[in-house]
Amino acid sequence: MNRDLDMKVNVLPVLTYGFLKVNDSAISESDIKIDSLTTPDAKKMPSGIDVKRGVSFKEAGEIFEKNKDRIMYTTGVPGAPNADTTSRNDGQAIMTGMGIDVDELMISVDAKCDIYTAQEGIKVSEPVIIEYKMNDNEGSISSQVIHAKKNSEITVILFYESEKESAGFHGISTRLLAEDGAKINLFKIQMLGDKFIHFDDIGGACFEGGSINVTSLELGSKKTWTGCLVNLVEKEAELNTNMGYLVRDDHFLDINYVADHRGKNTNAVIMAKGVLMDSATKVFRGTIDFKNGSAGSAGDEQEDTLMLSPDVINRSMPVILCQEEDVDGRHGATIGQLGEDLLFYMQTRGIDEDEAKRMMIRARLDSVARTIPDDELAQKAKYYIQNIV
Amino acid sequence: MSENKQAVVEIDRSAYEFKDIETEKDFYRIEEGLDEETVLKVSAEKNDPEWMRDHRLKCLKLYNEIEMPKWGPSIEGLDMNKICSYVRHKSEMKGKWEDVPEDIKNTFERLGIPQAERESLAGVGAQYDSELVYHNVKDEVAAQGVVYTDLESAMRSEYADMIKSHFMTLIPPTDHKFAALHGAVWSGGSFVYVPKGVKVDIPLQSYFRLNAAGAGQFEHTLIIVDEGADLHFIEGCSAPKYNVANLHAGAVELFVAKNARLRYSTIENWSKNMYNLNTKRALVEENGIMEWVSGSFGSHTGYLYPMTILKGDHSKMEFTGITFAGKGQNLDTGAKVVHQGVGTTSVINSKSISKDGGIGTYRSSVVIQNSAKKAKASVSCDSLMIDSISRADTIPGMDIRTNDADVGHEAKIGRISDDAIFYLMSRGISEEDAKAMIVSGFANPVSKELPLEYAVEMNNLIKLEMSGH
Repeated sequence: MNRDLDMKVNVLPVLTYGFLKVNDSAISESDIKIDSLTTPDAKKMPSGIDVKRGVSFKEAGEIFEKNKDRIMYTTGVPGAPNADTTSRNDGQAIMTGMGIDVDELMISVDAKCDIYTAQEGIKVSEPVIIEYKMNDNEGSISSQVIHAKKNSEITVILFYESEKESAGFHGISTRLLAEDGAKINLFKIQMLGDKFIHFDDIGGACFEGGSINVTSLELGSKKTWTGCLVNLVEKEAELNTNMGYLVRDDHFLDINYVADHRGKNTNAVIMAKGVLMDSATKVFRGTIDFKNGSAGSAGDEQEDTLMLSPDVINRSMPVILCQEEDVDGRHGATIGQLGEDLLFYMQTRGIDEDEAKRMMIRARLDSVARTIPDDELAQKAKYYIQNIV
Repeated sequence: MSENKQAVVEIDRSAYEFKDIETEKDFYRIEEGLDEETVLKVSAEKNDPEWMRDHRLKCLKLYNEIEMPKWGPSIEGLDMNKICSYVRHKSEMKGKWEDVPEDIKNTFERLGIPQAERESLAGVGAQYDSELVYHNVKDEVAAQGVVYTDLESAMRSEYADMIKSHFMTLIPPTDHKFAALHGAVWSGGSFVYVPKGVKVDIPLQSYFRLNAAGAGQFEHTLIIVDEGADLHFIEGCSAPKYNVANLHAGAVELFVAKNARLRYSTIENWSKNMYNLNTKRALVEENGIMEWVSGSFGSHTGYLYPMTILKGDHSKMEFTGITFAGKGQNLDTGAKVVHQGVGTTSVINSKSISKDGGIGTYRSSVVIQNSAKKAKASVSCDSLMIDSISRADTIPGMDIRTNDADVGHEAKIGRISDDAIFYLMSRGISEEDAKAMIVSGFANPVSKELPLEYAVEMNNLIKLEMSGH
C-alpha cells in the first residue's frame, strides 16, 4: 500500500500523563496489508432489511454529514476539558472510537461500504449475519453503515474467523445511525488466527429515544485495536456496550470506548470484562462525556479484569467528563486475580484450583457469548473459549 | 438573615488577599525573565556552594529543552519573561518573632501564624516572597534532636552531605519543565530531619506568602523522617490578588524511612491569579507510612499530584484531598502512587467541587510494578457539580503489571440532592446555607483529618467559596 505513515488511533478524548502510555496507540504501516476491499455477502439476510452494496466509504458517510448539526448539537459551551483531543476528528462524517486515521485509510484505498437499512417502522428481530472467513496471509478492509430509520429495529452479527495459526490483516469500520425510537443491535465476534492484525472501529449516533447496543467478543488475533464512540444526541437516547475479551500469549488488545451524552435523560452503560493470560497486554479507555445540555442523564462504566499470569500488563483509563449539573456518572474497576475465598469455597466443593479458574474464565466470557442471537455462532464462541481455557 | 449566613458574610477574602506595598528601599528584586544571568544572580544571592550553582545552570539548560506538558490546563497566560524569580526583604531571617520587620510581621499576624505557633505548633517557618523571614522550633522539640531550619543554612551545616545526597533526587530536574525551572531558581523552603525513633507530638508548620506582584515562588522543602520516627508537617500558602500572573513552582521531597510515619497536610489558598505548578514526592521504605492531606482552594490554574513511591515492603500511603474550583479557576489535582515493594498498600480518597464556571479535574495514576506482589490499591473519587456552567472531570489511570495485586477503583459525579436541600429548608435553613452545609459535609472526610484549627479554616474557605465572594 502507498501510505507512508503509521496510524494514530484510539486517542483518549482528553490527554493525560505521558508515562502511562495511554494517550493513543499506533498501528504500524508495516502491519497493514490489503488484498480485498469488499464485504462478503450476508450469510443470513432477513426480509425487511434493505442492503446497498459497494458504495464508496465517503459517499456512505453522507447520511451523517447531512445530520451533522443535529448530531453535534449542545445547548451551550462552558468550555472544553483540559487537553481536549476531539477536534482532531472533526473531518470524520461521524466520529468513531478509533478516530480519523481509520477514515483516511478507508478513503485512501477506496474501501467499499455496504449500507444496511431498516425502513421506518420496520422491526426485524432476526439478525443479519455477515461472516468473514479469512485465509492465511490474507488482508482485508471493509466497512458498513447500519441505518435504523424512525421506530425501526435491526440486528447485525459480524463474525470474523480464521485458522488458529494463521496470519493476516483485517480492518473494519462500522457506522451506525439510530433515528428516533429506533434500535440497533450490533454483535461482533472476533476469532481470528494467532498472528492476525485486526482493527474494528465503530461510530454512531442516536436520535430521540433511539438505542444502540454493541456486544463484542475479542478472542483471537495477535494485535487488536477496537474503538466505539456513540453520540447520544437527543433525549432518552441509549447506548449499551458489553465487551468480553480473552488476551493470551504475547497478544495485545487496545480499546477506546466513548459515550457522548448530548441530549437530556440519555443513558449509557459501558461494560468490559475479560481475562489476561501469559504475557498479554491490554489497554482499556472508557469515557463518559456529559456535554452541556445532557441534564438528567446517567452513565456507568464498569471494568472487571482477571489477571492470570504474573507477566500480564493491564492499563485502564476510566474517564468521566462532566459539564452538566444534573447527571449521575460513575465508574468502577476491579482488577486482580481470583479471590482466595472463592477458590477456597470451590476447593471445599471438590473443585481444584485449575478447574476453578477455568470455570471462572468461562463464566465471564460465556455471559457475553450467550447473548449472541444465533445459536450456531454462540456455540462456536463458547467452544473456542473452552478450547483455549 | 440567619446566624449561619452572618458567618458566611463575615469571612472576607481580604483575610488572605490584602496587599502590602513593597518598596525598593526595603525589597531587593531581580529583573524579570529567565536566563543564565538571572540564574547566576540568584545563585550569588544565595551564596551557593559550587555544586549547587552548577546544578542551577544544568537545570536552566533542561528548562529550555523540555517541552510544555501536552495534557492538563492551559498555561498560555504564563509568560516567564514577565515573572521575577527572586524577591527578598533586605533584612536577614530572624529566630525571634519580635525581630521580624514590622510590615512582614503584620502580614503574618493577619494570617494568624504567630497565634497558631503559640497554641498548636512545635515549630514554624515563614517564607515571604523568595526567602524565609522567620524560623523557630520549640526548645523541647529541638532537644529531641529534631532539625527544622531553612534549607540554605542547613546546606552549610553538618547536614550538608545529607542534603547534597537527597536534594532533587526524588524530583529530578528532568521530570518536567517546571521541575527544571525550580532547580534553576529555587529559593527558600525548609529542611526537616527527625532522628531515629523520635516522635514529634505536635505539628511543624511552614507558611508561604507570595506578596510581590508578577513574581515566582520556588521554595524547596526537604524532609527526612528517620527510622521509626513520626512527624506531622503542615504547609499553608496564600497571596494577594494582582492583575498579573504569579507563579508557584515549589518542590517537596519527603523521605520516610523504615517504620517511620509522615503526615503532610496542605491548605493551599493562593490568590486567583496564581499558576500553581507544584511538585511533591515521597519515597517510603519498609513498613513506612506516608499520609497526605490536601485542600486546594486557591490559584488560577493548578497542577498538583502528590506522588508516593512505595519502595519498601509493606509500606503504606493514604491520600485524602479536596479541591474547590470556583469562578475563573482551572484546578487539575489528584495523586500518583507507584507500588514497588511486596505487600504495599495505597488508599486514595478525593473530593472535588466545581462552582461558578470553575473547572475541577481529578487526575491520578496508580502503577503496580511486577515486584509489588500482594499489593493493594483502592481509589475513590467523588465530584460535586453545583451548577451547569462548571466542569468536573475525572481522569484516573492505572497500570498494573502483576496478577498478584488487588486494585479497586470507583468514581462518582453528581449534584447536591434536591431531597437533601428540601429537607434542610423544611427545617428553616435557607437554600444557600443548606447547600453550604451539604458541601461542608461532603468535605468532612478531609477536614476530619486536619488539626482542629485547620479544619475550621478549611470549613471557612468552603463557606467563603459557596457564598461566592
